[in-house]
Amino acid sequence: MLKIENLIKKYGDFTAVDNLNLEVKEGSIFGFLGHNGAGKTTTISMLTTLILPTSGNATINEFDIVKDNLKVRNLLGYLPENVTLYGDLTAVENLRFFGKLSGIKDVDSSIDETLKLLDFTAWKNRKVKTYSKGMRQRIGIAQAILHNPKILFLDEPTSGLDPQGTKELRDILLMLIKERGTTIFMNTHLLSEVTKLCTDIGIISKGKLLLADSIKNIERDFPEEKSLEEIYFKIEGGIR
Amino acid sequence: MRGILVLARKEVKATFRDNIFLIITGLFVLLSIISVYIGSSTKNAEMQAYQDIMQLLKSQGATSLPSPPEIYHLSVLSNIISYVSMIGAVVAIFMGFETFSGERNNGTLKLIAVRPVYRDQIVTGKLLGGGMVIGILLGIILIFNMALFVVVSGMTPNTNEMIRLLLFFIIAFVYMMLFYTATMYVSHKTNDSAFGFMLMMIVWLAISFVLPQLADSQRSFAYALSSTAQTVTQLPSDTVISKTIELFSPAAQFQNIGKGLLQVIPETANLGVISLIQKQLGAVAEILLPGLAVLLLAYKAVQKEDVR
Repeated sequence: MLKIENLIKKYGDFTAVDNLNLEVKEGSIFGFLGHNGAGKTTTISMLTTLILPTSGNATINEFDIVKDNLKVRNLLGYLPENVTLYGDLTAVENLRFFGKLSGIKDVDSSIDETLKLLDFTAWKNRKVKTYSKGMRQRIGIAQAILHNPKILFLDEPTSGLDPQGTKELRDILLMLIKERGTTIFMNTHLLSEVTKLCTDIGIISKGKLLLADSIKNIERDFPEEKSLEEIYFKIEGGIR
Repeated sequence: MRGILVLARKEVKATFRDNIFLIITGLFVLLSIISVYIGSSTKNAEMQAYQDIMQLLKSQGATSLPSPPEIYHLSVLSNIISYVSMIGAVVAIFMGFETFSGERNNGTLKLIAVRPVYRDQIVTGKLLGGGMVIGILLGIILIFNMALFVVVSGMTPNTNEMIRLLLFFIIAFVYMMLFYTATMYVSHKTNDSAFGFMLMMIVWLAISFVLPQLADSQRSFAYALSSTAQTVTQLPSDTVISKTIELFSPAAQFQNIGKGLLQVIPETANLGVISLIQKQLGAVAEILLPGLAVLLLAYKAVQKEDVR
């Protein structure tokens, strides 16, 4: 589904992402772990075609993120960190805008279906600025899955959510995998979320990928560590 | 094309839901209506005064009567020139200052940029949306003013006057779009909406007040000293310096064109529309060219830069 080869992003002398190589299988939930400033958002920004790589390449369903960027955009859904959408528009108006921009033909039935899936129909005609953080995150997910993308990129999706909101989001993502078979690529620094949700993880630090594998394999390879947290600190601490 | 229209429609919808925009726009429409009313009343009073004098002279048995004052109908609308030049520019700045920085700050620019639309389509969509809002706004003002003009003055504009009026609103549209485009470019280059707004207000102050004042000062105080004759001669009002200064002020150019079109200047009031346009081509270019330059810069910036 997603293949990254020697991906590099530099800002002047600073290398934000350094020679990244990674593969994400179809139908998996990939947790991209790293502390703040590790290069997670830069990676997701390149993969979602928001920024251009300095060198290297990546493909989504065989489409190159630079050369075939429009085709890639048709395949992906994206939820940035702390998105607020258009506060003066209602949820339906926001979704109609993004749906039409995605080229959905019958946008209204897609909106109905998505809102039903997310159990959000009751609030659909309220202005977004009146929503709680959790509701906004849910409508953020709605805009990301409205066009039924093959792969969903989430940047710190639980940021700012309370435990209830976090659980609801987790349930939504699990439902998406079950109902639609969407592949999920998720940036996070919350290890507890990764343990509960992800099938595979990658650990990035200072722009370099330290490890990428399935959680099962990682737990097998680190028999002495009792939790993913211990594994993370062992790997991540090794290069500090 | 689909993406451009979707973006443009969203811009129109979001702009007309903005309370501050609606207040400024309401003020703009109100002032323009007041200006027509005042202009019409002044002209009516002028005609009334003439008729009173005629009556008085006739009652005193005067045989030589003064000719009636030449009243150019469109000059009734002359105050609109200043309102568009000043408030119109502010409205355009207000509309444009968050086009990119606002979207960037609330994360929606990323959501647009991950959709299957080209980056230049985003600029075109926003430009089209802004253009539609400005067009609607000027259309409303045109209709209101025309109606009021007919009601208050009791005069109906002839074809030549209608064309002049229409041309004035087209030039007003271009002038407002210049500010909108420039503000959109600034909004793309900065993350701070407030900074972008302040910067454009400074630009507006400079080209709407400072430069025209400077040009005026050069006109009013341009004197030639003849050392042989020991005399001081006042030069014609336009000087090379004042004209050069005005080159950098689209506001001054807009006012010059507006005065010509709305029959404020008696010398050009009876000119045909084509002759008038030929006379004002330079001034039109001085509004159009900076607008096109900023537009090209905006397109270039959007295509080159990352969305972060």
